Amino acid sequence: MTMQNDRLLAYFMILPVVAAVLAFVIGPTYNVGTLSLTKIVMGQERGFGTFSNFTALTSDPVFWLVMKNTAIWILGGTLMCVLVGLGVGTFLAIDSRMTTGLRALILLPWVLPDVVTAMAWKWMLHGQVGIIGQTLESTGLTEETISFLGDPKLVMWTLVVVLIWRKMPLVALILCAAIRSVPDDQIEAARMDGATAFERFRFVVIPNIAFSLTAVTVISMIWITAEFALPWIMTGGGPANASQIMATYIYQQSFEFFNWGVASAMSVINLVMLASIVGLYLYINRRSWASEGSK
Amino acid sequence: MTNPISRRRFLGTTAAAGAAALAPLNSAFAASGELSVWKFGGTPNEVEQWAGRNDAFSAGHPDINLNYSYFNGQIRRQKILAGFQTKRLADVIIAFGQDIPEFVGFDMVQPLDDIAADKIPGWKDRIVPEVMNSGMHEGKLYGLPTYVDMASFLAVNLDALEEAGFDRPPATWEELREYAKAMTKPDRPGLAFPATTAPVDINIFEGIAYANGGRIFDEETGKVTLNDAGVVDALQLYVDLIADGSTPAATSLTETFFRDTAQLFGQGRSAMWIGLSWLNTPWGVNDDVRWTGVPMPRPDTPSGSYAPVNAIMDPTAILMVSSRAKNPEAAVEYLDFWSQDEQLEIWGGQPEVARIPAGKAAWDNAELAEVWPNWVEAYNAGSLFEGAAPMPRFIGVSAIESALGTAIQEAVLGQKTPQQALDDATKAAQAQIDLIRG
Repeated sequence: MTMQNDRLLAYFMILPVVAAVLAFVIGPTYNVGTLSLTKIVMGQERGFGTFSNFTALTSDPVFWLVMKNTAIWILGGTLMCVLVGLGVGTFLAIDSRMTTGLRALILLPWVLPDVVTAMAWKWMLHGQVGIIGQTLESTGLTEETISFLGDPKLVMWTLVVVLIWRKMPLVALILCAAIRSVPDDQIEAARMDGATAFERFRFVVIPNIAFSLTAVTVISMIWITAEFALPWIMTGGGPANASQIMATYIYQQSFEFFNWGVASAMSVINLVMLASIVGLYLYINRRSWASEGSK
Repeated sequence: MTNPISRRRFLGTTAAAGAAALAPLNSAFAASGELSVWKFGGTPNEVEQWAGRNDAFSAGHPDINLNYSYFNGQIRRQKILAGFQTKRLADVIIAFGQDIPEFVGFDMVQPLDDIAADKIPGWKDRIVPEVMNSGMHEGKLYGLPTYVDMASFLAVNLDALEEAGFDRPPATWEELREYAKAMTKPDRPGLAFPATTAPVDINIFEGIAYANGGRIFDEETGKVTLNDAGVVDALQLYVDLIADGSTPAATSLTETFFRDTAQLFGQGRSAMWIGLSWLNTPWGVNDDVRWTGVPMPRPDTPSGSYAPVNAIMDPTAILMVSSRAKNPEAAVEYLDFWSQDEQLEIWGGQPEVARIPAGKAAWDNAELAEVWPNWVEAYNAGSLFEGAAPMPRFIGVSAIESALGTAIQEAVLGQKTPQQALDDATKAAQAQIDLIRG
């Protein structure tokens, strides 16, 4: 009887959270799902149960460019963010007066508002007045100033660099904390066994921080997928759609073209894609954790 | 013979008489309560002035509680759409004339003829007819314009012009290429034009294309006409100017939108720039830069399939009443307030000279004549709006303008020829239009 009461109390306690999830996650997701299967003309729903929004997308040449750009944005951004974050986190884990100060300073890019970051970088990277292009030219590294955001070949990678600058600090701090929590005796034992610095890092530190590494990778991937303000403010998807990604194209279809059905179809594809990548990543890591455990 | 009055008849008659007596009183008190207003876009000066006049409105209408919000013009569609979907749209929306067909199509705004019939004659008395017409759609008035912007115009640095040996600004496309080349220096291009996908940048190009007899959409056939010769040749002009070496690098044009281009001109970093009618007035120029604004040079022989226009124009601060207005009486009162000379005078001289005023009285302002003598002269001669057409406005306009923006960038960057870029844009935009219009 007491146990049953406890169970009821537990259900009652989690009820607000369940209600919030239903209202703010499941509800909108269901809505987007149904909209993606609905033909919408001039804001009016004209029939449910159609794949016309998805077929319209596949015949849109911009969509395939968007997919390619999104892959660079999410995969490139996440990979670089985690790798650079791991490097910086490892450095910050070293005990010194400098790293203590840097641990606080490094958060600066992360706490700046998106709009401020985007505007500042936009001007620094500008082809005519940007300080970066002018510095490169004045030091003789380039013959003329470079329009990082106006050149279709450079724009996507430039955005990824700004993204890493913005998102990496938190990744670095999380990994720094994880590295600092690795037991000293394990590292010392490896050292006594003759392991090099790289071997200690690869075979002692990495397995110890595997869970944190997985967590920040998944979180970074979700953050980067949801990032809209940075690319939109810096390039608006241009030039010539060269930096158009899922987030910006969904916005354009919804709020510029009033094409809600197609925008919803893209959101569904985005969701499935992200869930698949995260699911696959978690599956692989779970196996690697299991194998690490069996050793 | 008696004619007794029953209790029921007495009460009925009394109620009817009371209602009849109170009816005018009722309407006199109708303009009261909450009134929400959303304004989108505007120069810094205008934004400040608008808020100041709102205070005057509140002082004159103590029963109306004005709840005014200002937003950036670029987010207006998102904000209005979200408000419409969540049933929290403001009573009055101050947006762009180009938006009207889509807002009407989505039933977001209501015809003013239905709710302000008694005010409209007064508005017509005070507002320039051509500007007033910019609030019309399918024979009904949907908005009260306060000014219009026109495309396209050319800002010219007078020192650079004289230095290159010219005594007047260019008047034709050929002359423009010749002047731009002659005015180019190693550290200063002769001409800059914005080529991002910002709507204003696209409007600037449309002004050039429409003057060449081009159109972006044929309402009668429902066909996208981006690959009409009028549009293709206008884009070829952009490409030729770049090939002449008269502009900043193509990659820089595609990342520099109208306001930044204006600022670079204002700092003396380009000798000319192509913009809308306000050119540099909202932001000014450095003290050492002498400049003037003239209509964009015309093609020697227009090549488009449609009638060439002198300019295209749009009211970019037009007051509309939302279809879900909770207080339409107060909304109409607000519109009527903004139709008065005192408010429309804002654009007649100081403090704001960047716009083409809607108010007839504003044109008598001596300051306007001093700043824009050519405008006032043309207005008095009745030729200012001669041959001017509205900026493109129809359901799906954003989809076509977006495709056009991409095509402009592809051609400017040399990825495709103007013809190829516009052929592809026509195909893509037609698919979007068919989808949106069903």
